[in-house]
Amino acid sequence: MRKVLLTLAALAGLGLAGGAAVVFLGLYNVSAQSGHLPGVAWVLHTTFRNAVELRAMPPDEVPDLFSPDLVALGARHYATACAPCHSVPGEARTATIRSMVPEPPRIEEAVAEWQPNELHWIVYNGVKMSGMPAWPAVTREEEVWPVVAYLAAIKEGLTVEEQQALTAPGEAPEGSPPGAAYCSGCHALIDSGVPRLDIHEAPFLLHTLSEYRDGIRQSGIMQQAASRFSPAQLEELAAFYAAMEPTGPASAPPEAGAQLAARGTGDVPACTACHGPGASEARGDFPALAGQDEAFLVTQLRLWRSGERGGSELMTQAAEDLDDAEIEALAAWYAALPPAKGPEAE
Amino acid sequence: MTARRWKSKAGTRAGASCALLLLAACSGRQSALDPAGEDAETLALMFTVMVTAAAILWLCLNGLFFYVTRVSPRRMSRKLANGLVIGGGILMPLVLIGALLAWGLSILPDHDQPGDGLVIRVQGEQWWWRVAYETPEGDVISANEIRMPVGERVSFVLDSHRVIHSFWIPSLGGKMDMFPGRQTNLSLRADEAGIYRGQCAEFCGASHAWMAFEVEAMEPDAFDAWLAAEAAPAGPPDGGAEAIGRQIFAREGCGGCHEIRGTEFQGQVGPDLTHVGSRHSLGAGRLGARLEDFSTWIAHTDDLKPGVEMPPFDHLPQEELTALAAYLKGLQ
Repeated sequence: MRKVLLTLAALAGLGLAGGAAVVFLGLYNVSAQSGHLPGVAWVLHTTFRNAVELRAMPPDEVPDLFSPDLVALGARHYATACAPCHSVPGEARTATIRSMVPEPPRIEEAVAEWQPNELHWIVYNGVKMSGMPAWPAVTREEEVWPVVAYLAAIKEGLTVEEQQALTAPGEAPEGSPPGAAYCSGCHALIDSGVPRLDIHEAPFLLHTLSEYRDGIRQSGIMQQAASRFSPAQLEELAAFYAAMEPTGPASAPPEAGAQLAARGTGDVPACTACHGPGASEARGDFPALAGQDEAFLVTQLRLWRSGERGGSELMTQAAEDLDDAEIEALAAWYAALPPAKGPEAE
Repeated sequence: MTARRWKSKAGTRAGASCALLLLAACSGRQSALDPAGEDAETLALMFTVMVTAAAILWLCLNGLFFYVTRVSPRRMSRKLANGLVIGGGILMPLVLIGALLAWGLSILPDHDQPGDGLVIRVQGEQWWWRVAYETPEGDVISANEIRMPVGERVSFVLDSHRVIHSFWIPSLGGKMDMFPGRQTNLSLRADEAGIYRGQCAEFCGASHAWMAFEVEAMEPDAFDAWLAAEAAPAGPPDGGAEAIGRQIFAREGCGGCHEIRGTEFQGQVGPDLTHVGSRHSLGAGRLGARLEDFSTWIAHTDDLKPGVEMPPFDHLPQEELTALAAYLKGLQ
């Protein structure tokens, strides 16, 4: 018995010494030129597949993804955040990207073996030790769906022409700062779910972009967008959109939101006191909301209510007692107002 | 001086100061022992009679006990002993306390008795009071202060927003609990003009102790004039500082929570400020109502009243706070 124990202990000691030698003496070759040893790639990939299948949400929790606005937003975010590694239909990956270990698959191949619920998990969580990053905004799991909608469209066989139409640059008149075409691609060309910028004044726009850039306000899409520019460039962009004259249709504002917005309730402050329309004075960091996108307002109010929005204790407190019906009524009311610059505008 | 004597002297001093403190509580604008209204008068009488009767009862019982154990400790016949126990220990207290109970119940003020017409609705908030005077032209909204005409019985209709509070004006009458979703009534009559103090009498959260209000009992004519003024919308700012204060009020979004009738400020979360400048206190009895109290309150709400919903506006420079104070103090 003693002999057996001694042998086991000796073997364990040898194993430890071997492991320590690999770590401390650098015996394992991490070169990406040589690839993985036979069998290792299979072990890693199978582990990855099974881990995703185990953790992805049930398929019946996937929302409706057949919306052109969702696909367009996903496509435009993908174009700057994901395309460098996975490419887009009709384009090739660079030689450098193809030399990664593991090599990132072309997107058509990558989506072929996954369902939307699994794609959501992969895009939100990323994949450790593969080069696939996590979604930069940990509190914004719902924000991943546009990307999944776009990936589902690729799986359905998105053509090269369709792809080019989805990511055509936005309008950028002469003299506009660098990045304006990129920003307008979503903010001017997508109908729903993306906020309009022309109703805002420069201090608010710059404040918001800086919050995204510094991660104070979370959004995988806007943190990606804002981190592509220097502070000076962000300032130029803020000034560019602040100089725009808001135009656009207005419809009859629904009654339900009017009273709530102007008076609030015993628990909810009046929105118009800070956000207009018709605020007699307003601080530069209070955004105007008249004419703002309805779906965007609903999303933001829900984020405020859950306490995940970050950036203003006052708004978290203001929204914490709203119910779903009130959020929808307020968003519908503001969206129906004629768009106007600043909270002071009537 | 021995330690013992010193101790006893200190004890006497402490006892004397305690007694002084207790006596101080017998008068003033928040004392049930210094009544200024019909119901408080009754309650004070009841208190005096009950305490006197209790003292007599205590003296008689203990006197008897002292007599039989110390003054004349001799054997008694079983009959006499039983008689003393039954007569002095059961029958006498039963009759005396029964009589006191019957008398007390017969004069106890009816909290639900009909008033002379004026109805004031009060809702408990954390930690302040929403006040509405019912008039034929509609409700007159105010907060954190109650004014009532002297000599008229006023009906208070009470409820609460979130937690249980209790409405108590010791100088005018008894207390009545306020429940969320349930209405309770209290009827009070002030007999002497003056300013009294009310206080929440049911623990309601971190700043329960800071949930008070001022009550001004006024001559009926003065009250009618006041109510008419209170019903009117706020006047325009008078002078430069007040106009600047109004701009700051708008810019900081104060109107999101506070209503000032006659302006664009229509919020309903916090107290109505239409005539806040004419009130006797700020922050529900937390501070006085001088100009500097306004700026102190606005800048330090959470220090003065832990847990309060109003955020402290300590990011404002002092001159802006002063301008805000001037605007609010000007809302007479």
